Amino acid sequence: MNEQHPSPPQLVSRRRFVQGTAMAGFAAFLAACTGTKSSASPSEAAAPSVSAPSAEASVAPSAAPTEKVVTGPLKFANWPAYIDQTTEAAADTGVLPAGSSKTLEDFKAQYKVEVDYEEKIGDNPAFFETIRPALAGGLPTGWDLVVLTDWMAAKIIAKSWAEQIDQENVPNCANNLRDALRGQTWDPNNDFHYPWQSGMTGIGYNAKTLADNKIAEPTRIADLWSIPADKLTFLTEARDTFGLGLLKLGIEPDPAKVTSDDLKKVADDMQPLVDKGLRFTGNEYLQDFGQKKVWAAFVWSGDLASSGGEDDKFAFPEEGTMIWTDNMLMPKGAVNKYTAELMMNYVYDPVVAAQIADYVYYVSPVKGADEHIKALDPGAETNPLLFPTADIVAKQRNFQFLSDELETSLNDLFATLSGL
Amino acid sequence: MTAQPMARPGPGLRGRLGRALPYLLLAPGLLWLAVFYVLPAIQMFTYSISTGSVENGYSITMSADAYSEALNRFGKQFLNSIMYGGVATILTLLIGFPVAYTIAFRGGRYKNLILFLVIAPFFTSFLIRTISWKILLGDEGPILAPLKHTFGLLPGTFSILGTPIAQAAGITYNFLPFMILPLYVALEKIDIRLIEAAEDLYANRGAAFRRVTLPLALPGVFAGSLLTFIPAMGDYINAELLGNPSTRMIGNVIQNRLLVQNDYPVGSALSFILMAGILVAVAVYARLLGTEQLTG
Repeated sequence: MNEQHPSPPQLVSRRRFVQGTAMAGFAAFLAACTGTKSSASPSEAAAPSVSAPSAEASVAPSAAPTEKVVTGPLKFANWPAYIDQTTEAAADTGVLPAGSSKTLEDFKAQYKVEVDYEEKIGDNPAFFETIRPALAGGLPTGWDLVVLTDWMAAKIIAKSWAEQIDQENVPNCANNLRDALRGQTWDPNNDFHYPWQSGMTGIGYNAKTLADNKIAEPTRIADLWSIPADKLTFLTEARDTFGLGLLKLGIEPDPAKVTSDDLKKVADDMQPLVDKGLRFTGNEYLQDFGQKKVWAAFVWSGDLASSGGEDDKFAFPEEGTMIWTDNMLMPKGAVNKYTAELMMNYVYDPVVAAQIADYVYYVSPVKGADEHIKALDPGAETNPLLFPTADIVAKQRNFQFLSDELETSLNDLFATLSGL
Repeated sequence: MTAQPMARPGPGLRGRLGRALPYLLLAPGLLWLAVFYVLPAIQMFTYSISTGSVENGYSITMSADAYSEALNRFGKQFLNSIMYGGVATILTLLIGFPVAYTIAFRGGRYKNLILFLVIAPFFTSFLIRTISWKILLGDEGPILAPLKHTFGLLPGTFSILGTPIAQAAGITYNFLPFMILPLYVALEKIDIRLIEAAEDLYANRGAAFRRVTLPLALPGVFAGSLLTFIPAMGDYINAELLGNPSTRMIGNVIQNRLLVQNDYPVGSALSFILMAGILVAVAVYARLLGTEQLTG
């Protein structure tokens, strides 16, 4: 578990975070005012070598003048705690301010382009609703690169709402994507997506609060039912919440076998908790843990390790975990498409991928990142968040792709459960 | 001779202009209402009697299914809206009346300053104010932490956030100025000599307040409670941020139906029922208070 990790990264304090985001916002504003349109040149800085299309194409005056020009700022929407961030301790060495990301800073320096990276995605449907009207109307969404979970990515691709990736610009992705993640039925040739990270959904809890209240640390999903319901949160990501709910009831969460009745059983099982104050949240559970508002919750595997407090732990429930992959894709109408492709390519450099994974504690989709993670962080190979053991892998369940009928009934039951 | 025919069109034009003037002055407002209220209301009603989906389009089928689903399934959220809207209106009245009274009669030269202080928090956005309540009411926030740990008055497990209390308090806070300002305007207009006269006629202070001040302040109470109750009933931010799934209001359901589930017919039916309900409630309220008193 995460506590085995020798030095958990420190939590970025709220003030530093606000300062950081304010600065980023201000920088983006300035960039917008001055119309930053940097044409890239290969960086002399010792940034990680990226066997990239690099930016030479844009420097060459003749070839394809508009296509391969680095434009910015790159608008990149991602989930909270999902990229390496400089901790306060590291910031004291004076290299980067706390809250900034080495990956992003190096990318900016290498390609001389601004990146407007925002932690805008707290759950898939809520974020999708912010871009759906623009996509449906054939307008740009304002984002160049977004990170969405398999089922949502598949939906967007099926509606032709994603820009096609020019594989020439992403040689790292094409070469380094793990074989297990290739050939997805919804985008078999990775024409539209490349995975960002994979992870699991399990139980998070604050060990100290539970101990103070004489409650044993949960090892099973069912254990959460004996914690005061108003101190619990489950996820607004209905697939995760109902997937774990099915596991708790001993029903195999196999989309091919689960019926609407099974889902109804889960809803009935959770309703008493709702009546006693259970809440559903997106990624905001990190703030709830920060404020000690929740004692235990359904959470995503790496978050508490990277951004939780000392006593916040992740447990792989005995019944099993839900597994998923979040994917980078460019929404239709992305303005800085080439820059977005450069970013995808950049994070598929095994060195960069290791740097991200070792901070976020999720499973990197990049072949060859493992060695670099172990080099960066000598205890990492025993961390099941980064390298799930065979036992954990055997209990991983995928409840992502549902039939229309099942999805309708899931949405309906979940709406009722959450009082809507 | 030549002056006469020149003079004749003058008064005629002026007369016609004079007759048309009220309509011309009303035109911008009427146009605004037509474009931003009447048209959307018609469109919403059309959706509410249609069937179909966002993907395949809607067709008007005169079906009442949306209305029956709206009423059967979301009765609890309608009740929550009435309850939280009502509680907030009563609380704002109880809190706002003494404040408005003090400003109007005891404010003196600080009147404007105090009025400014009432409005000052509202220079921040509604959302930010509500989110800051999340921090204030947090389990380990600046209010509960000292009560729990320093004074030991509350058990460690006590929390307000995510309870009906937090939600009612948030709505009350967010709509308080909408009560204070109309009350202040009504109270400020009261001629202080009327109260003195009542006291000269042997009314004690309580009776003078009950028989003179309060009736004269009724238009303010009426306006203030409408300005509070109507938006408070439709509010969904407070329920979303401060409440829990059991305290959801009809605004949350409408938001969810229209923006998340893309269920336009039910969302529209809910909005229509809410609008009709509010109209009826306001009519009853006006009748109870007596409208002549309010306009006079």
